[in-house]
Amino acid sequence: MVSTPQSAQRLTDDQVLLRDTLRQLADERIAPRAADIDRSGEFPEDIRQLLAQQDVLALPFPAEHGGIGGDLLTVCLAIEQIARACTTSSLILAVQDLGSLPLRLGGSAEQLARWVPDLAAGRRLICFGLTEPEAGSDAAALRTTAVRDGDDYVLNGTKRFITNGSVAELVTVFAVTDREASRHRRLSCFIVEVPTEGFRVARVEHKMGIRGSPTAELEFRDVRVPAANRIGEEGDGWSLAMRTFERSRPGIAAQAVGIAQGALEAATAYARDRKQFGQRIGDFQMIGAMLADMDAQTEAARQLLYAACEIIEGGAPDAARWAAIAKLVAGDTAMKVTTDAVQVFGGYGYVDEFPVERMMRDAKITQLYEGTQQIQRLVIARALLGPARE
Amino acid sequence: MATLWVVGEVGTDGSLARISAEVATLARTLAQAAGGGSEAAGIVVAADPGPVADGLAGFLPRVVAIADPAAAGHAWSTIAAERVAAVVGDDADAFVFLGAGPDGRDLAGTLAALTGRGVLVNATGAAWDGRLSVEMSAFGGKLITTSGFTGGGGIVTVRPGTVTAEPAAAAGTVERRDAGEPLALPAVAIVEQIEEAGAAAPIEEARVIVAGGRGVGGVEGFELVGELAAALGGAVGATRAAVDSGWIPYSQQIGQTGKIVKPELYLALGISGAIQHKVGMQTASTIVAVNRDPDAPIAEFADLLVVGDLFEVGRALLVALRGRSG
Amino acid sequence: MHIVVLTKPVPDPAAAAERLGPDLRLDRAASPAVVNGNDEYALEAALKLTEAHGGEVSLLTMAPATGADTMRKALAMGAARGVLVTDPALAGSCVRTTVEVLSAALRDLTFDLVFAGFDTSDGNAGVVAAGVAAKLGLPYLSNAAKIEPDPDGGKVRVRRITPTGYDLLEAPMPALVVCTQVLGEPRYPSLKGIMSARSKEIATRSLADLGLDAAAVGGAAATTEVLESRKPPARGATRVVRGSADEGAAEIVSFLESRRVI
Repeated sequence: MVSTPQSAQRLTDDQVLLRDTLRQLADERIAPRAADIDRSGEFPEDIRQLLAQQDVLALPFPAEHGGIGGDLLTVCLAIEQIARACTTSSLILAVQDLGSLPLRLGGSAEQLARWVPDLAAGRRLICFGLTEPEAGSDAAALRTTAVRDGDDYVLNGTKRFITNGSVAELVTVFAVTDREASRHRRLSCFIVEVPTEGFRVARVEHKMGIRGSPTAELEFRDVRVPAANRIGEEGDGWSLAMRTFERSRPGIAAQAVGIAQGALEAATAYARDRKQFGQRIGDFQMIGAMLADMDAQTEAARQLLYAACEIIEGGAPDAARWAAIAKLVAGDTAMKVTTDAVQVFGGYGYVDEFPVERMMRDAKITQLYEGTQQIQRLVIARALLGPARE
Repeated sequence: MATLWVVGEVGTDGSLARISAEVATLARTLAQAAGGGSEAAGIVVAADPGPVADGLAGFLPRVVAIADPAAAGHAWSTIAAERVAAVVGDDADAFVFLGAGPDGRDLAGTLAALTGRGVLVNATGAAWDGRLSVEMSAFGGKLITTSGFTGGGGIVTVRPGTVTAEPAAAAGTVERRDAGEPLALPAVAIVEQIEEAGAAAPIEEARVIVAGGRGVGGVEGFELVGELAAALGGAVGATRAAVDSGWIPYSQQIGQTGKIVKPELYLALGISGAIQHKVGMQTASTIVAVNRDPDAPIAEFADLLVVGDLFEVGRALLVALRGRSG
Repeated sequence: MHIVVLTKPVPDPAAAAERLGPDLRLDRAASPAVVNGNDEYALEAALKLTEAHGGEVSLLTMAPATGADTMRKALAMGAARGVLVTDPALAGSCVRTTVEVLSAALRDLTFDLVFAGFDTSDGNAGVVAAGVAAKLGLPYLSNAAKIEPDPDGGKVRVRRITPTGYDLLEAPMPALVVCTQVLGEPRYPSLKGIMSARSKEIATRSLADLGLDAAAVGGAAATTEVLESRKPPARGATRVVRGSADEGAAEIVSFLESRRVI
């Protein structure tokens, strides 16, 4: 066995039991579905039900509204274990977390009471609508507008690459409420309940990986949203988004660590069983060295993530830097480890009878979304150097 | 001077169960080895113990047949345990041997509590070298232990197939007794007995098992498995994967979460040999596997691995086997 | 309805690290302990019944002090509380002692049913439950494929698996039932269950609490002993045969003949 309980120095007994329970759940109920989910490209509604039933979707939410009130590390542990078996399935939890973070960070008591119970119970899914066709890395360049009209706002614009956008009942939308304001005060954040008049899922992407996760383009044409659905004040959007990333990027790091671990375990099992030239291939130094590096890198990414979670949860002033470092390292690790895993399998790694080719395709997204690796580097550099000087 | 009692169990056809014939043979051999006037003797408890007692007398010099009307219509093991306890009495050097099936084990546990004797279960061998020593398999077959009783006597349950049943040179005597005292333990009523079509003989007793795994692919595939089992005079077994897929009932499941078997021949078709299944069958005398994958884990511990499609090889084997007996 | 489930911590079979110590007793420190797999089926059956009929499930375990940690998962599955009988003198206990101890602990509890798992993965004995039933004078219903209590009528019906099908048994409660896996897969602890397990009570009982004499239990009073242990004989090299299906079949036949199987 590659992963032992002894890597759990920072974990409480509850977290260990949670991690082990989810590992078993993932191995027995999710892993057998992973290949099918990837091949069919269909959203795994059965896995969503399973996660809801096991209270996994309740993890990030406050206990007084039916959640479990799990801290950042606990949520990441859950994402990691699920991702080991199936990246698409892990996204169900990760996006429920991401999509609801603005609400949890900045929502009023009334708003929490209104939406959290359904989200915690997994009865409704929520997604995060920030990215647009012309505003990916340059998030401040959003064009979706929200214009006040009486007690409502009217939303117009398009959001692209929205995970779960076609299955979620709630969309957390970032839109420009004041074009004239300074860069970081132009945006506001709204929860839009869908379906609703003027809202349309324009397309769903066909992707390299996470194929069971629907990535949608959402169109808003004169969509009316009550002002009571605005999170925080007008202009709070940017800061809500940034504070969200501090907590959601570790979630993606956790996903990446999970993918890497799954690939490592598959490759190790193969290296144990596969014989060539009269011995098991794992005993050849070139293979053994690859596996050793894969393990060391995965463990490093994992321990970094756990440390980052504790530091961020503790309210460190450089939380953004920690989140970026964790995500940067984990994403690159996942890509390297899965690529090497395919290598260990040789020709068999290229065919879908074995899971590593899927894991390699799934790993790539962890270098792209939640801020590309390049954006993570910008965040870290800025933390080191301070803001850009003219 | 020890007395080795054997409790006779009733088989599905109403006569002596095969496991009891085996256990009786073992007890007889042990009594001989113990010497010094040691004897093996049988006990049968039933509403009408006649048929089973007569059968057991073919293997032991004497049999105590207890007619207890309560045994009709009530769960057998607790009733039998009380009667056996009465027969065995306080004899410190008395051993009681039982089959390791569900009835035998229930009786063993009840008897242990009634008499305060030790109990060793699932014996795969026994010998007498100054004292009784019992061989058992531990930790899914990783270890073989030899154990004994610290006091004089004790209770032993014996796995099917541990010895071959061999009748004694001459038939023994049957002594009929009445039940005696009323029962102290509550008797559990049997309200109804339901027969299920397809309920197979317990596979733990089969000499040959032909088992199918994931590779069999479906219910239809198991027809071939059944035909091969029939041709070899054996039973059909399955891995958990096959049972979970609904291709075969749970009663045929072999492995960590199913039955442990020790047949003379285990023919594994389309079975990878993962540890969860392996622990259920790895002590079989001969293991033959048919698998497409020459590197499947079962290649580690099978005696013979035929690399190929299980249906093609299986059908060819069926033809070859039928051709032999024809 | 109150159902007590007998559970036992065993070395994790998945770790495959079980071994005997130098004293030829199971070395419980060699691998992490988990709840015996078959006990989880009994627990699941108990949880389903109390969910349907109302009531609670308690756990009873005889184990080293670390047994409380293993009870945690069972509590997380939904049991309401646990009772742990633990005492250093209990180390090395045989079936007889285990029966004495569990029976003594059960005498202090009020229950409608006691459930036990089919056997344990570290001893495979499966006889303790029958002994406990006899000690306490409880009706004993084993090999259960289905359990139907009738709380109002004060009785329970059990389908007992037989070689030919089922016997339908009936007995008054309280009664002891030995469960099989046919009763249904155990649930995963829900995360809320895991969180709430921490606040559930595990009452510990020592031998003195049960009125038992230390000299009468444990290794010193064991009725059985392991004399020696060894690894099973290596099977020998595997013969691998490739070729046509007919060739493979012929190989099997001649191999079986050489082994006198046919």
